[in-house]
Amino acid sequence: MEGRPQNERELALRAQRGDARAYEELVRPHQEIAFRVAYVITRNAADAEDATQDGLVKAWRALGRFRAGEPMRPWLLQIVANEARNRRRSAHRREHLALRALSAGTSSGEAAPSPEEATLSADERARLLAALEQLPDDAREVLACRYLLQLSEEETAAALDVARGTVKSRSARALERLRETVE
Amino acid sequence: MNLETELRALQIDWPQTPQFELALARRRRRWPLAVAIVAAAVAAAFAVPESRGAILRFFHLGGVTIQVVDTLPKADERPLTSGLGPVISTASAKRAIHRLLLPPLDPPPPLHYTPGNVASAVSVVFEHAGHPVLLSEFPFGGGYLKKLASDGSRIEPAPVGGAPGLWISGPRHVTFFPGQSPRLAGNVLLWEAGGATYRLEGPNLTKDAAISLAQSLLRG
Repeated sequence: MEGRPQNERELALRAQRGDARAYEELVRPHQEIAFRVAYVITRNAADAEDATQDGLVKAWRALGRFRAGEPMRPWLLQIVANEARNRRRSAHRREHLALRALSAGTSSGEAAPSPEEATLSADERARLLAALEQLPDDAREVLACRYLLQLSEEETAAALDVARGTVKSRSARALERLRETVE
Repeated sequence: MNLETELRALQIDWPQTPQFELALARRRRRWPLAVAIVAAAVAAAFAVPESRGAILRFFHLGGVTIQVVDTLPKADERPLTSGLGPVISTASAKRAIHRLLLPPLDPPPPLHYTPGNVASAVSVVFEHAGHPVLLSEFPFGGGYLKKLASDGSRIEPAPVGGAPGLWISGPRHVTFFPGQSPRLAGNVLLWEAGGATYRLEGPNLTKDAAISLAQSLLRG
């Protein structure tokens, strides 16, 4: 899990007293990862946007139940991911996960391609993502959370609303299945 | 390179993260957000001892907090008129509730004022379709706590003229008014409009009848 801002607890306490600006400051660092988790679940950017926005609103409403001092990110991801699942259920549609790897030489604006990535050809990256897309939802989501989004086990458990042990076992099975597909 | 490393090394072309509205307190939502904080305060004021049963779900609407619990607390069976507080004038009631709803009856039934530490209410009992109905009105942020059994009580959306509302039906549930001991309650419509929260209770009310009555009250 990434380092928690030292003042997160203070911000949470202020937000719980109704300080909307403290809430903004509290959740702003997590909105991008929340949106991406929602996107993994809904497979649709518009639904992910709605789910994230609704989740941010619900988190504000539910802030009284947040334990100041606990990490905000898993708590927020749980709420947003739940919104995303509700939206997916109500939409009654199957979207293809539109994940694409950045093409060679393209900057994501966040980081340069890693040496490991540079060793994977564009075809290999596309093949890996295509195989990931073919996995059942449970397997695809746990791998996307753990490896593409690089969430911790705790955060993944919160986002997927399962126990940490389930994250471990589900990841292992999903990796095995993915390995069978790509090899 | 193993599969986990390959997955971690992939750089995904994620869709651009939108600009989310975080200025929540300044944003107009169907359910005003500032109310949630007050609702939480109300919930804290009437916190359910854990021995009464696990809290399964929360609902918030305006100044009302509803908790679904697996075991109901003890509550009395009392008439709708019980414990509503002293009768006040219409002018006083209008000072308490900016948008006071009144049943169009002549002579007007008495209005009651129920003061509370956290919230106060204006209530009126009147006859509708041959049965008594209790209308309670709470200022913005005012409220009470209601607890419902999880097995059987139904909570469903019931918009009233475009305003957000909830219809609670099924087995009797327990309602807490400010400063009162818990009371068993029947079918209830809750809705929020114009910065106030309204509650209609009538054991013989149906959802459609309650919404229709609420709309007529809003129209004045």
